[in-house]
Amino acid sequence: MIKFERVSKLYPGGSRALADVSFHIEPGSMVFLTGHSGAGKSTLLRLVMMLERASRGQVIVNGRNLSICPDRLAPSVRRSTGMIFQDHKLLKDKTVADNVALPLMIAGLKYSDIRKRVRAALDKVGLLDKENAWPLTLSGGEQQRVGIARAIVSMPPLLLADEPTGNLDPNLSRELFSLFEEISEQGATVLIASHDLELIRQTRKRVLVLSNGRLADDIPASDGL
Amino acid sequence: MSSDTWVRQIRRKNRAWLRRHSYSFFSSLGVLVKHKVGTMMTVLVLGIAMFLPLGLYMTLANLDGMNLRQDEWSAITVFFKSGTTEKEVNRVAAELAQRFEPEAVAIISPADGMADFRDASGFGESLDMLEENPLPWVMQVSPQRGPTRMVEAMVGELTGFLQSIDSIEVSQFDYKWLQRLGRMMELGQAAVTVLTLLFGLAVVVVVANTIRLDVASHAEEIEILALVGAGNAFVRQPFLYTGLWYGLMGGLLAVLLLVFTMLYLGRPLGLLLETYGTVFSLRGLGLNNTLWVLAGGSSLGWLGAWISVQRYLRRLKVGGRLGR
Repeated sequence: MIKFERVSKLYPGGSRALADVSFHIEPGSMVFLTGHSGAGKSTLLRLVMMLERASRGQVIVNGRNLSICPDRLAPSVRRSTGMIFQDHKLLKDKTVADNVALPLMIAGLKYSDIRKRVRAALDKVGLLDKENAWPLTLSGGEQQRVGIARAIVSMPPLLLADEPTGNLDPNLSRELFSLFEEISEQGATVLIASHDLELIRQTRKRVLVLSNGRLADDIPASDGL
Repeated sequence: MSSDTWVRQIRRKNRAWLRRHSYSFFSSLGVLVKHKVGTMMTVLVLGIAMFLPLGLYMTLANLDGMNLRQDEWSAITVFFKSGTTEKEVNRVAAELAQRFEPEAVAIISPADGMADFRDASGFGESLDMLEENPLPWVMQVSPQRGPTRMVEAMVGELTGFLQSIDSIEVSQFDYKWLQRLGRMMELGQAAVTVLTLLFGLAVVVVVANTIRLDVASHAEEIEILALVGAGNAFVRQPFLYTGLWYGLMGGLLAVLLLVFTMLYLGRPLGLLLETYGTVFSLRGLGLNNTLWVLAGGSSLGWLGAWISVQRYLRRLKVGGRLGR
């Protein structure tokens, strides 16, 4: 689903975010991406989202080589990827339901279908009763779950999450992770950038470890660690 | 892929396009309603900007259509040579009527002329002393009514024709006045063109600036939209519709201002012209012109919004990479 081949990313000014990173994530798997802050986790996700272009190497997502993909196709790449952000990135002047509906609006679905699928997605994250609430009236955990509902509402084959548990207490974080597991079990590929090592260990999934822009370790999924 | 599924796919895409547009359509209206005061001020500026050239245009159209004594200025008086027969006069009148379809041709026989003169001059009895009637056959031709330029051309053709006829001694008409009126109209029309261009540009700039601020205040929203996969078109549409609404409402206001102005000026103007013996009624804008104004305003608003949004999108690279 995601394949990096000797990928390097240099930002203008010379700072090196990624150096010679190669890995392959199988479809339907759930993988964690970890490392100290500034190790290149966000850059890696940005490359998959086509928010940045690799300086060297190939980034292949869902069979599409993003390194040679023209810029104008970036929106369609993003539409086939659900992204969850640490700061939620919700529209404050739109209700929860309208926020979740955004990807479907962009896809131009029928209004009645949008409603149905928004309710299904909100139901999945346990926020069906907050349908008409405003994002700012929700707690941090709830806002994060709205972000997840938005990411899964169009049922993309790939789900990315950048520090989704960043501001949440351990209990909420565990709930969130089991939600991701559930989504992954239904066939989506899930890649989560996180430094919550304790939780990562508990889920026993594959872990990619970045350090100073290099892939320092690739710990396979295991039954015991 | 069979052609059937292909057609279905195109239909689906069209429907998706339509839905996205209806979404932008309504959300843009919502935004305008939410910011009532700001919207009203912008629309007021646009309305006045569009009213100015429109007002001048209507003034000219009314002047031109009013036939400001056009009949008198354009009427041609034809004097036949003495000794011309009635038959010949009728023949010329008939040919003229057939070729130029004038508004009216009046033939005044020497006898009629004499009768008129007798009544008007008071020389009644002295005229009886004349052995024969010295007056010639006279014909008065009023060309077709119409815009000044057309009448002018018609008068030119008519005089050409009249000069070519041997039995005609002389034809008189007030050509200078007609010409002056024509030139004045042309000058006015040029002024309308210049004003339309300038104020059209003003409309574009005003809308562009308003939308620029609007876009800037939605920077965060635009970024989020781009992150969840919106393309340029999706981001652009609501702003383009906003621009269109501004232009449309500005146009509507301009038409309303025009109607009120005409209602307000109509009576005093009518009274003034009555003293000149001219009966007239103000000509309205008409449905066609109204639609043109609304369509023009909308297009200019759309254009202004497009310029602003496009500049912003290019800078942000929303449709491509968001990388800064």
